Amino acid sequence: MINTNLYFKELKRYRNFFLAWSISIGVLIVMELAFYHIFMNEDMAKMMATFFENPFMKNMMTVFGTNLDVLTNALGYYATRSAIYIMLLVTFFSIMLAGKILAREEHEKTAEFLLAKPVTRLEVVWSKLAAFLTYLFLLSVIILVSGSIGLEIFKGESVYRLSAFFIHSFYFFLLMLTFGAIGLFLSLLIKRGRPITNISIGIVFGGYLIDILSKVTASVDKFGYLSPFKFMDSGVLRPDYGLEWWRVLYFLGLSIVLIALTFVIYRNKDILV
Amino acid sequence: MDEMYAIETQGLTKFYGKDRGIIDLDLKIEPGEIFGFIGPNGAGKSTTIRTLLGLIFPTSGSGKIFGMDIVKQSKKIKKQIGYMPSEVNYYEKMDGQELLSYSAAFYERDCESRISELADIFSLDLNRKIVDLSRGNRKKISILQCLIHQPRLLILDEPTTGLDPLMQAKFFDILREKNSRGTTIFFSSHTLSEVQKMCRKVGIIKEGKIIAVEDIETLRKKQLRKIQVEFAHPVKDKEIDCPGVIAPQVDKNILNIMFSGKMEDLLNSLSGKDVKDLIIEEPTLEEIFMHYYSDENEQNKKAQ
Repeated sequence: MINTNLYFKELKRYRNFFLAWSISIGVLIVMELAFYHIFMNEDMAKMMATFFENPFMKNMMTVFGTNLDVLTNALGYYATRSAIYIMLLVTFFSIMLAGKILAREEHEKTAEFLLAKPVTRLEVVWSKLAAFLTYLFLLSVIILVSGSIGLEIFKGESVYRLSAFFIHSFYFFLLMLTFGAIGLFLSLLIKRGRPITNISIGIVFGGYLIDILSKVTASVDKFGYLSPFKFMDSGVLRPDYGLEWWRVLYFLGLSIVLIALTFVIYRNKDILV
Repeated sequence: MDEMYAIETQGLTKFYGKDRGIIDLDLKIEPGEIFGFIGPNGAGKSTTIRTLLGLIFPTSGSGKIFGMDIVKQSKKIKKQIGYMPSEVNYYEKMDGQELLSYSAAFYERDCESRISELADIFSLDLNRKIVDLSRGNRKKISILQCLIHQPRLLILDEPTTGLDPLMQAKFFDILREKNSRGTTIFFSSHTLSEVQKMCRKVGIIKEGKIIAVEDIETLRKKQLRKIQVEFAHPVKDKEIDCPGVIAPQVDKNILNIMFSGKMEDLLNSLSGKDVKDLIIEEPTLEEIFMHYYSDENEQNKKAQ
């Protein structure tokens, strides 16, 4: 199934890309929690309380799934803040890596070298998928480690379940997997020479905006289900916060379908270099 | 068991949507042969090769390499093949050594000694990154890449473009040596002179169709002759009225023709015409090749 020569070469080819992104994301997570610590110590929380007295602001924050109790809790603060940008960063990482890992051979015309080697099309996809999943897994480990350490150091008086953080991180993983599958699939549909990066950015931002708009505007809330972000659950402080089967099923189902389509398309595709 | 060819195609056809790639290609190449595959750019040479390699899939027809199906058994086939593409595109961040080791690892063989041996022959510095290499040096990497795993069949697509004559000669020496040990070579080119140097048999492809497969020797010995006649007076292109005269060209007193008829008829029609000089030569393959084309063109015109 997996050609180890190809697998390890792919790991090596994207090692720097992975290191740059994962170190940045790890550092940002710890920094975010350090900000929480400063925020609590500087009596910023009291200022926030005033902020939440404004009904408009309070409603808006509710739309974003947060309130004063959430923001003054270390894990709640982390989940709220990371829903704004760390979530975007990890999905960018995922869709870009997946978008490149297969299609780049064609874009850079190295597919002619690779496919003249004794390796089947399916082995090519399996090996590249394995390299992608390896990095996805490693990034998840980095998120878990940096988050746990950051929480432990900066939590102050906050009360939360650490398992909620793990569940939140697992949703992150599923979200990355889904965007990765989208990236893989789209990279095969895009004509040669078109930059995958622009399209990836478009998809992530587009999905993000759809999700936000659907939350702000009740009339289009069903519309939000077009976006994978809609299926993310950041309500880490809810007592019943846990893995919900329909969310997991959505992420896994969509990923499996897209990856299966990727296999089918790539197996039968004319490689024109 | 059936008689096994190194390469055998039956009605192999490839269309890119509506665009013609190759049509109804029938090829039979014996093991141990050096087969020249010639035709102008866009005739379908690379399409043929890419179909054989499984980079693209045939629209219809089938092909076998060493008896294995080019679609179903592509991986097995590729263990036996060394392929040199016409345009070399490699992973630019790798250096030569890394690329070659990567390439060799696909064949699960240790090729390191072979790599350094060949690098010496071609005076190639393997520590430089591919991106920094000149076209000629990339081509050399490509040569090594297709040879190091000792394939039974070499598929070379325009292998000499970008190689200087000295390297070309070394490369041809290696190919001859490989061939003498049984390696089959499929040599695609639009330059006939180099095919002439290497191959015993050629297939000519034009607009996606094979128009002739001949031994180089037969091709040369075909009755086609290149003839120059110098007259004592200015001439017209219809000066000689004789069947078999092709493409007459006039330059003052001199008439140049290609001739495929009976020599006796030609001499008869020349007698009494005040001929000062007559040169009869064996045409180059290039000229024979042109003849094939002009022949086809005339037939097409007649058909219209």
